[in-house]
Order: sequence, then structure tokens, then C-alpha cells
Amino acid sequence: MSAEAVAPDARTSGAVAGVSTVGELAPHVVADPDHIVVRGLHKTYPGSSVAALSDVELVVPRGTFVSLIGPSGCGKSTLLRAVAGLEGFDDGSITIFGATPEEACTAKSVGLVPQAPALLPWLTVRQNVELPHKVNRRADRRRADRERKHPVPSAPGLDAFADVDSLLDMVNLTDAADKHPGALSGGMQQRVAIARAFGLRPEILLMDEPFSALDEFTREALRLQLLTLWQRMRTTVLFVTHSVREAVTLSDQIVVMSARPGQVHEVIDVDLPRPRGADVLLSPQLHTIEDRVRASLQGAWEAGAAPVDLVAG
Amino acid sequence: MAAHGTSTAQDGTSAASPHVYTASAAHGLAVTAVTDTTPAGGTPVVPAPAEQSGPALAAQTTSPAGRVSATSRGRSRFPRSLRPSTWLPTTVSVVVVALAWSWVASENKYLLPPLSAVGDLLVEDSALFASNAWATLQIAIVGLGIGFGAAFVLAVVMSEIGVLRRAIMPLAIVLNVTPVVALAPALVVAFGFGMTPKVIVTAIITFFPVLINVTTGLRSVPVPVLHVFSTLHASRLEVLLRLRMPSALPFTLAALRVVLPLSIVGAVVAEFVAPGSSSGLGTMIKTSAANSQLAQLYAAIAWLAAMGVVMLLLITVIEKRLLFWHESQQGATS
Repeated sequence: MSAEAVAPDARTSGAVAGVSTVGELAPHVVADPDHIVVRGLHKTYPGSSVAALSDVELVVPRGTFVSLIGPSGCGKSTLLRAVAGLEGFDDGSITIFGATPEEACTAKSVGLVPQAPALLPWLTVRQNVELPHKVNRRADRRRADRERKHPVPSAPGLDAFADVDSLLDMVNLTDAADKHPGALSGGMQQRVAIARAFGLRPEILLMDEPFSALDEFTREALRLQLLTLWQRMRTTVLFVTHSVREAVTLSDQIVVMSARPGQVHEVIDVDLPRPRGADVLLSPQLHTIEDRVRASLQGAWEAGAAPVDLVAG
Repeated sequence: MAAHGTSTAQDGTSAASPHVYTASAAHGLAVTAVTDTTPAGGTPVVPAPAEQSGPALAAQTTSPAGRVSATSRGRSRFPRSLRPSTWLPTTVSVVVVALAWSWVASENKYLLPPLSAVGDLLVEDSALFASNAWATLQIAIVGLGIGFGAAFVLAVVMSEIGVLRRAIMPLAIVLNVTPVVALAPALVVAFGFGMTPKVIVTAIITFFPVLINVTTGLRSVPVPVLHVFSTLHASRLEVLLRLRMPSALPFTLAALRVVLPLSIVGAVVAEFVAPGSSSGLGTMIKTSAANSQLAQLYAAIAWLAAMGVVMLLLITVIEKRLLFWHESQQGATS
């Protein structure tokens, strides 16, 4: 799973807007430090006749918000897990700003918000949000050393994410800071999970349908809150969703995938202006883009094999 | 004697447990937590049958105006533990048993001694019983400590190193199914008379339930949480200490709930089959039986029963304190 050479002359010096580069680049890695590159990814689950991911190619520039959308079985969650280093793959390569997923995780540059809140129920909200800072401290020390050696002009407001109290304040959970997850609603638990991930100040944020278990109104509110948080940090995000509205509201690019085998069907750019507030969400432009995405999804649905095939197999 | 090795706690998927809550817009409005009176959707814990049928019956017969829910939110006058519906069935059954006992005792004095005789002995010779109880308790506690400690350490080691699990688990199973009483004479030959063989017997009896439960508990961490720790590149030790051990706590305490009284049983059985001391309630039972002193026999049994109950109460208190976050403690009425 070594990274391949991608546009060696595209390597830029210096970092973008306060996000530090990932670790020391291994000598054999001459990859683009400003893109997440997925090349020729193949994965088939054992015992399955059809590939979960087939020849998936994706290039994500640093600082963009990318949504993965598609029918069930299109491999969007598999792709996300592969980028997170949680799953292996049979063929192809993934580089996260020049490093492998494992190296990115070792440097604690990967933030994960899974579908279920994944909080520790015996810890309070505050302790849950602080947890990443207590785990794998070696990575924090290395990062601190790096930042001392190469001080990076940090974006204003980035420091707010380093402090747990201000982080909780940003997600409106200050009152619930000393409660346990069992006493919180699903929406609040996801806010804690999001705060925890943002507190890492990760270079890449991976979110796997984080709002799918919530009701419509909570979803919309959390979307706006996520937008506000992201505006301040501007990290790279891979967001899996099955809601077209959600994808269009949040992202700069939408990757529509088709199923059986899982592959990229189309990449659609979302030209809505940033920062996006509630007003943008009422604009007709949004609906135009939504229609386009829906049409693409329809095509993706038809491109894949019929679901019946999978049920029989 | 529920000496099965299966865990009595639920699957540890605590992150996804559904709760009843008042919906709120996600703008930071406070959400009221589920009260412990309404059974939450995801709790499979079944309250004691007496609790359920008693209040339900009482509600139907005594309140004509509307159905008074047995779990009405604090509007009843008494706290639940003092309400007659709670203690009345238990008291009635105890009285019935006592009456039946007295009747049998009056018919045939070799079957059961009269309750008054037992009561008198308990009061007169309380110091004797207490010192013997302490001797038995010592064996129980030391044996439990060794059995629990060995099982816990082994479970942690086995959960981390798969090869060891495949090597050791079959041996543990064989040990579990071998009647311990059959091992006792061999232990006496090996370690002589005295406390050692008794402690070993007790340790063996308490070993397996703890091993199984802790092993299961260490592995019952929800996958999404493991994923998050994996993306943080947490070391195996960090995952073990921060994630697996706390997740195993409900299972461990469930095992303790089984083995704490079991340790007393173990100590008594050990005193039966590995003789060699003149103290201990088990020894007392043996000599009383040999001399047909039924009153003394049943007095010793009463002490053992009381010790078992105290152990259970202890573990219940500990569970409430340590497991406030777990589903098993929410909506629990016992």
C-alpha cells in the first residue's frame, strides 16, 4: 500500500492557512501534500461476487468539503473506512496529503465521526471531548515539536478549538458539560462526537452519515452548526450521506457513486457562495443543484445492477 | 446454584441505547433525561415478578377512578420500598414458610427442629456462631481473591493474545466441568490439612464465572468506538485501559454477583470434603449432623444464608455506585 508518485512538481512549500503538514514524508513518498488522492481502489469482500469498490479514483484538494452520496451498497462507507485506515483494500492506493492512512492516523491528523455517536458512557461530555488529547500523546508531542521548529501562522480562531471549554461553547453544550451521554439526546450526543473530532484539529475529517439517525429539524440545525464550525477551521472533510439536501448544503463537491460494483459515477461541483448561512439555503440556485444531483443519482441507480442480484447472492 | 459461566449482564452496546427523551431543537436546549420509572425501550432487564404483579393487582382492585400506574412518577405517598405492595408478598411468604416449618417440626422432630429452638441457640451461642462464621468467611474471601485475581489476569492476557486464549480456554472449561469435590481429596494429599486446600477449592469454584464474564466484557466494546480509537492510533494498552476494562465492568460485577455468594458455598463445601480444622460453619454443620443436633445445624445454615444475603447487598450497592452509566442500572427497580 505504498503511495505512488503523483505530480512531483506540484509539491508546495509552506502550509495552507494554519494547518500543519502531516509528519515527515517518508523518502519513497513523493506525493502531493495538498491533495487526498485515491487511485484505482479495488475492494471485494470475501464471499461476495461483486466488488464493493471498483477502480475508484478521487482527488480532493486540501480544505474542501466533499460529500459522498449514492444508493446503498455503493461503497461510500467502505471508501471512507479505507481512507481512515480502518479497512484494507485489494488494489490501488490512498494518500492523505502525501502520507498513507496509517501514517496520518499515527500523526493524529484524522478525525472520525461515525454513524453512532461512539461516546464513552462512563465519561462526562467534557471528558469525552478531552479524550483524544489523552490518547497517543506521542503524536501531540511530535506535533508540538514540529510547530515549534516551523511556526505556522495560524488562522484566527483556530486556537478556539484547542480549548475544551470554548469548543463546548461552540456546539452549545456548556450546560451539559458534566452530564453523561446516557442523559443526552441523540442530537446532543452527535454534537459531542463532532466537538471531539474538531478538538483534534485534524487535517482530514471523516464523517459517516452522522446525522442519519436524527429527526429532520435536528438534522437541519446540526448542519448549520457544522457549517459554522467548519468555516472557522476549514479542514478537509469527507462526508458520507444519503440526503441530497444535506450534500448540497454542506459541500463544495459531491461525489455520486453507483453500486454493484461500487464506483464513482460523477463528481458535481457546488457553486454556492461561502460562507453559507440560512439565506443561501433558501436560494433557487440550491434547488437547481439539488435537481442535478438527483438526476445523477438516478443515473447511478440505473448504472448499478438491480438489487435483486445481491439479495440472491 | 447458578454456577453457569454465562454472563448475566447485557450486550455492552451502550452507545446506541435508545432513551425516551423530549425532543429539542439542537440549539442547546436542555433535555430531560429518562426518569427511572418508565422502562426505557432498550433495557431488557426484567424487574422481579413480585414487583410487577403486586402493584398491578393492587392498582386494579383499589383504585376505581382511572388506572393508577404502578410506576407513577412520584405521586404516591410512600417511597416504593415502604409501600405495602412491595414488602407484603415477601412477608406473607416468609410467614407461610415459618408456619409450615413449625407444623412439620411438631410432627417429626428428626425432619426439622422447632423454630424456637433454633432461635434460642442463635441468641445464646451467638459468639460461637460468629467466630465460626468468621473462619468460614476468611476462607471464602481469600479463595475469592485468588480465584477472581487469577481469572481477571488470565482474561486480560487471553483477550490480548489470541494464541493464549486458544491454549488456555479449553483447560479452563475442563476445570469448570470437573466436580470440585472430586479434586478436594487430591488437594488434601498435596497440601495437607489446614486452610490451603480449602482456599484452593474455593478459588476453583469462583474462577470460571469470572473468567468467562471478564473475557466477554473485554470484547464487548462497540465497533464505532474502536474505530475512533483506531483513527487516533491509540496503543493496545490505551485501548485496554481506557476502553476495554471499563466496558468489562458491568460484566465483572455481574460475575461478582454470582461468585460472592458462591465463595461462601465453596468454603463450606471445602470444609466438608477437605477436613482438617475444628472451626468454620461447614465443620459445625458436619458435627451437628453427626450428633443429630438439628437446631444447631439449622442455626449454622441460617448464618450462612445471612452471610450470602449480605454479600449480595454489598454487590448491589457497589453496582449502583459504579455502574450509574450502564443500561442495567437505568429503569431498575430492584
